[in-house]
Formats: sequence, C-alpha cells, structure tokens
Amino acid sequence: MLKVFLVLMVVFAVMAVQTPKLRQAVVYLGIFSLISSFVYLLYSAPDVAIAEAVIGSTLATILYLVALKKYAVYTIYFTDTVDSGLEEAVAARRARILELVEGFCTERELEAHVIYTAEGKEQIQQNHSYDLIVMQEGEAVTVCGSRESYHVDGIRSHLLEKDKGAGNRLRFQVQTEEEEVGP
Amino acid sequence: MAEEYRSRIISIIIGVLYPFILLFGFYIILNGHLTPGGGFQGGAILSAVLMSRYLVSPNQDIRLDSLQIVEKMAYALIVAVPLLFLLMGVGGRLDKTVYLVLMNALIGIKVSCGLSIVFFRFVFYESR
Repeated sequence: MLKVFLVLMVVFAVMAVQTPKLRQAVVYLGIFSLISSFVYLLYSAPDVAIAEAVIGSTLATILYLVALKKYAVYTIYFTDTVDSGLEEAVAARRARILELVEGFCTERELEAHVIYTAEGKEQIQQNHSYDLIVMQEGEAVTVCGSRESYHVDGIRSHLLEKDKGAGNRLRFQVQTEEEEVGP
Repeated sequence: MAEEYRSRIISIIIGVLYPFILLFGFYIILNGHLTPGGGFQGGAILSAVLMSRYLVSPNQDIRLDSLQIVEKMAYALIVAVPLLFLLMGVGGRLDKTVYLVLMNALIGIKVSCGLSIVFFRFVFYESR
C-alpha cells in the first residue's frame, strides 16, 4: 500500500517536470501533494497530513493558477460615479463599453480582469496598479489608460474606431493628457 | 475574470459549500487539542472561504486594513497570553483545556487573516 503511493508520488513528480504546459504541471503538482498527504497519513502523522492537504493541494494550487492567469492579464477598474446601476439604459451602456474593451482583449489574447470599485480616479491611480480605468458618469464615459501599459495606444485606437458610430460620449485620457471625441 | 467566463455552476456550488467550509474550519480549530488539526490547519481552511469568495465575485470590497489590524492584535495576544500564564502564575488556576482552546483560536484567527491578506494582495495589487 505504502510503496504503491510512494511510486505514484515519483511518477507525478516526473510528470509535473516533464509536461510541456504549465497549467498541467500545476495540476500534477496538486495531485502530488494530495498523494503525499495520504502518505503522511499512512506514516500515522495526521496533523501533517491535514496541513499538507490544505496548503499543498488547495492554497498552493489556487495561487499558482492565479499567477498563471496574471501572466497575461489586463486590469480594468470600473467606477460608476452616478449610482444608478439598476436602470436598464445605464446597465446597457456599461455592458457596451465593457464589451468594447473585452473585444480588444480577445483580439490581443489578453485576459480581461474587471474590478468594480467605488473609489475615485485619483485614489485608484495612487493606490493600485492598473491598465485602464473606465469611469461612467451618467451619460458620459471617460476612459483613462496607464502610461506604463504596453497596450495603451492599441486600446485607444480600438476604442475610438469602434465608437465612431455609436454616439457614446467617450473621452480617452492617458493620465494627464486628454482628448475629446464624439458629439 | 470577465462576466461570461465565470461559471454559474461554481458560484452556486460554492454558495452551498460556504457554511460547511466555515463549520469545518471552526471544528478543526476548536477540536485541535483532542483530534488532529489545530490553529494553523483550521486557519488555512477558514482563509479558503475568502479565496472561494473571490472565485464567485471578484469585488474589491474586502478591507485589508482591518484584516491586518485583527492579525496584529491576534499576534500580540499570542505573545501576551502565555507570558501572562507563566509570569503571573494564572496557569494553575485555569483549566488546561481552556488555555489550549484559547491559543488554538488565536492562532487560527492570525493564520486565516494572514493567508487572506497574502492572497488578496497577490490577486488585486501585484499585477506585474
């Protein structure tokens, strides 16, 4: 019994090293941790087994998966200064602007990570690292890109081009500079 | 995570599992002196509740500052309680079980706060 699981541990460790895809390697590592926790149990160390099961195969796996996601993630902060999220028109407009941004992300193979927050623009700029801030003020939408982001020019031309016919009151800023578009 | 990538199945199942994970974490903490487990393991399970909450709704409305304050207070108590027991001789009058449960609970609070802070800082702030 014990030897079978020890051999399995070696097998999964080799698989984790040899697999070409990082995500699969993380899953193999989780299985490896689970088996090792069971081996601890067979060695009659249940305390260690619980710690290994919780930390090795749950928390570490989640953290690795999140890290892999962050590898190509595009952080968008969305703020709605006029809090009227229940009205359908506003919700539709919000969905539309986010759809534009997410279309851009799909084009560039980025992972869109939208964070809804109640903080103002200055607060976000000071406290968080961001790629894009989308501010909805009733009718008007202000988009603010970070200068540190590699995709700032790309998303600017993408948004301006897609938004031409839509008649949103869209403004695009790069930190301090800003320009007016639309009616 | 965009809206359409979030799985409805996962959010429903995690909503059902919340109370059970919480209960399991508290059970492991409070029974740490009798059965396998203890403050550290239970605290890690409790922090898994907050992490699964992130999977359901990635809202940034968790106040990390207050979590940090709770963690620091727990740390001060972890240092203070055994010192008090040693120096003042309170240990003789208090039941050993009460002492163990108290210490396990303190360690559990500290570990769950600490792991949650690590996770949320990692998720929301360290983008590159």
